[in-house]
Amino acid sequence: MALDLREALNTISDVVQNRPSPLREFDQIYMKVGDLVIQSEFIARKFDGLDIVFIGDGDAISLCTVHLRQKEIFRYGPHHITVLDFDERIVKAVNHFAYNNDLGDKIEAVLYNVCDPLPECYWRTSDAFYTNPPWGASNDGKSVTAFVQRGIEAAKPKGMGAVVIGDNEEVEWTGQVLFRTQEMLINAGFIISEMIPGLHKYHLDDSPELTSCCMVARDINAQISYPKSEPLPSAVLDNFYGRNSPLKVRYVKDRSGLNLGRAHDSSYELIPLEGNQ
Amino acid sequence: MTFLNEPNAGLLLMKVGLHAGETFDHILERKRQEYKNAGVIFWGYGGNTCHPTRAVQPFARMKLEKRENIYIVMEEINSNHPPTKIVAEEYSVDGIHWQPIPTGIEVRSSRYAVVLDELQDGDLDIDLSEYKVAVGPSLGKVASDYILGRVDKACITKSQEPLAHRPPQIKKISHIARIVEPYAVFLRNH
Repeated sequence: MALDLREALNTISDVVQNRPSPLREFDQIYMKVGDLVIQSEFIARKFDGLDIVFIGDGDAISLCTVHLRQKEIFRYGPHHITVLDFDERIVKAVNHFAYNNDLGDKIEAVLYNVCDPLPECYWRTSDAFYTNPPWGASNDGKSVTAFVQRGIEAAKPKGMGAVVIGDNEEVEWTGQVLFRTQEMLINAGFIISEMIPGLHKYHLDDSPELTSCCMVARDINAQISYPKSEPLPSAVLDNFYGRNSPLKVRYVKDRSGLNLGRAHDSSYELIPLEGNQ
Repeated sequence: MTFLNEPNAGLLLMKVGLHAGETFDHILERKRQEYKNAGVIFWGYGGNTCHPTRAVQPFARMKLEKRENIYIVMEEINSNHPPTKIVAEEYSVDGIHWQPIPTGIEVRSSRYAVVLDELQDGDLDIDLSEYKVAVGPSLGKVASDYILGRVDKACITKSQEPLAHRPPQIKKISHIARIVEPYAVFLRNH
């Protein structure tokens, strides 16, 4: 599809401006803006007219997709998106943006941590899921499979999923995590229907060359009954962010108060101009 | 220094120098006094490459499981860090529970601190082409390919298997200390 690049970047810039600062301790590492455009276009096209659940979305691909569609930069896009994220700053940022941009009927964000069972209202209700989880460099991909598991639980029979994870031929662990993720999807009745390797780069100062792929999976098994969603086992929680790096936080609480989208009061001080008090 | 006899020791390589307007010699003097006063040193640092809970603590626990030690090794460089003096008032091991900085310890203009035993002078050469990154997204990368440009610190181990051939890259280590529990902490002020 031909895109008006300037319009697309300026429109995505609205979303980028709205995002909270990333927290590295939770692997919130943001995708570079050019790649946000590419990825949003791909997801809008692939999931055109579908109801999607995002299992975490620090990058704000969900908002980019619906905002670009709303502004008619894309001629296609999802019907509705539900974003589930454990960071209340992200949840509020999505809902605040949706309210201000008349997107309330297109997107909604809800506080949820993948360590908990998926709430029943989301079980097998979405046409597709999307996740860009912590990449599992030193936990054999356990964090990836935890997020993907929730996505599978949310997808209807014959549903689809898009998984964005590390993929770089020169970085050995990415291949191992990709293998485990594909193995898990296949065991759950999915096939890997598409994969775009090495597609995205990130604001990752110590590994700027590390790229991720976008892998699309499709459920061909259409299993009607599916096991109940369960809490993550302690073996996964203990190494969630890497070996010996456990998940200890249920939610990140938003404390921006009235400063949503603006610099926090404590981050600056106003020095008055002498004689003009 | 002990780690020379410990082939599997973990190293946190850190480039050091003038910081927040304070010369490196003055920092050393202050930190040696800190050890006398408090029995440990909080060595301040920043950046994302050696995050306390994502890198240093898991690395230390991994080494501890194998009864191996982890050391900070310092390479002195000319640095030009801007003169600011914000003194940390509280520290946290997990980023959730906070407590006052212990009496006798002062950390300036740093988001994190690595917790050290006594500082020792060293005059060592480390060849980064023999080491690999031990944690994080660059896990397994040859250390001499990693510590470049903006990356000025890293958790590394000596590779036990042959690494991709790289020309030797020698780092002159001027100071060493054992990293002790809780290994690395978050800092904040009000």
